[in-house]
Amino acid sequence: MAEMWINMGPQHPMTHGLWNLRVKVDGETIVDAEPEVGYLHRGIEKICEGLTYPQIIPIADRLCYGSSFTWSHLYCLTAEDLMDVEVPERAEYIRVMAIEMQRIASHLMWLAAYAGDLGLSVGFTNAMRDREVFIDLLQGLAGSRLTYNYPRIGGVAHDLPPNFERDALRTVRYMEQRLKEYEDLFDNSKIFMMRNVGIGILRKEDGIDLGVTGPSLRASGASYDLRKDMPYSVYPEIDFNVATHKDGDCYARYRVRMDEMWECCSIIRQALKKMPKGKWRVVAPRNAPASTGLGRVEDPRGEAVMYVVGDGSDKPYRLKIRSPIFVTLSAAPKILVGYKLADVVVIMGGLDMCLGENDR
Amino acid sequence: MSEGDERGSTGTNSIETAPSRIDADPGQRVLRALTEAFPETVSDGAQVKPRFIRARVDRSDLYSVCRSLKDHHGFEHLTMISAVEYDDGFEVVYHITSHQAGLLLELITSAPKTDPTVDSISSIWGGANWQERESYDLMGVVFRNHPKLERILLPKDVLYHPLRKDFRG
Repeated sequence: MAEMWINMGPQHPMTHGLWNLRVKVDGETIVDAEPEVGYLHRGIEKICEGLTYPQIIPIADRLCYGSSFTWSHLYCLTAEDLMDVEVPERAEYIRVMAIEMQRIASHLMWLAAYAGDLGLSVGFTNAMRDREVFIDLLQGLAGSRLTYNYPRIGGVAHDLPPNFERDALRTVRYMEQRLKEYEDLFDNSKIFMMRNVGIGILRKEDGIDLGVTGPSLRASGASYDLRKDMPYSVYPEIDFNVATHKDGDCYARYRVRMDEMWECCSIIRQALKKMPKGKWRVVAPRNAPASTGLGRVEDPRGEAVMYVVGDGSDKPYRLKIRSPIFVTLSAAPKILVGYKLADVVVIMGGLDMCLGENDR
Repeated sequence: MSEGDERGSTGTNSIETAPSRIDADPGQRVLRALTEAFPETVSDGAQVKPRFIRARVDRSDLYSVCRSLKDHHGFEHLTMISAVEYDDGFEVVYHITSHQAGLLLELITSAPKTDPTVDSISSIWGGANWQERESYDLMGVVFRNHPKLERILLPKDVLYHPLRKDFRG
């Protein structure tokens, strides 16, 4: 049969954000694929060169609205590395707790979008509703709903609000009950399993070679997690497991994210328990030295890195952002080839695309 | 890192003054092996922090150094490629990870402004492919032997490289 190229995008029902996936099909089988990105390029790296260090925190939030806390936290880590600022321990615990809440919210949004892609409306509405619980919690902490602007260079903006610990524990307990329900809902759904098991297999060697990180790589059997391998913040003090799966298909990616949400609940509990009293912020210098700083965190989507070059002034000379999904997306042709056109939505949905951080 | 240190050679524990337990530390071991294998081109090896080392490499030997890092030293994951423009030329900074050793290497190479060309390493780590395209797109660094060096974030008909300092939007 004659081969032809099909453009899927730039307008999709399936992802939030614009991108174009060109797939070459032979009948229904995919023989080649080529993602085209850049529709959401806002030039954030260039914008940052004209802003002072504290002004960049809200911009970093806008990299990905689904997990904005991890990005502003990563930026603060990077700036602290450059300026050599020591963060108070209480602030570190508040950050870790909030990042894990953000990770659950991000994974739930992925789960909702994924269920929607597969036609499981119950999964969509339920996951979106439970995400809102964590959004509310973070709103109580930071004051705004999606872009928090809460971390600061040298700590966090303010202390926990009254009764936050009680609310957080209550939410975590609620979430653990709900997670059991999700597992029943999805793992017992015949349609869900038929469309996931054995679809979109990524071998471990290919994943490592192509720079895939995060849940997508851990689902291929590599237990790479920066929180364990190269710990930052107070993660060495916290006891948790790295969720992995050996199959490398779409079901494995779903499973890894579900297991991660269980771990997140446990991390939030431990962080609240171990959180010391004391200061939550130190004053950071206005100007950074002429040097370089590097920050790396485990984003909900993989390894997020920022590299900043200071020149002695109050503005960064250069800020480079590594988006995990940008590199993961370059591996998409490797995952897609050989499957049917109808599997594209499942495979690309399973990678948890976020175009805001992808295009920067 | 203090303010007066020169960029690229910061860190107190440089390789010459390293203590005698040099073999116990994976970072020092990699740095020593690199400077022994490429004495002409690898310089400024330094341990910045525990598990974070830094070295400079001349762009003529970039490909073979990276090949040896992957094949002999277990650096299986290319984390990030950043291009930075200074007054006297471009620097391309590679952050390369070895998950087994828990080690991060910052490899810096430079190219003059008149000829901003470095070798592509996308045949060593596939993850470099798009990141090199991004550096070409935004900063105008040309990667030799790249399989498809095209713009990726900006439209194909754009004539400028926006992250350069002389670019005025």
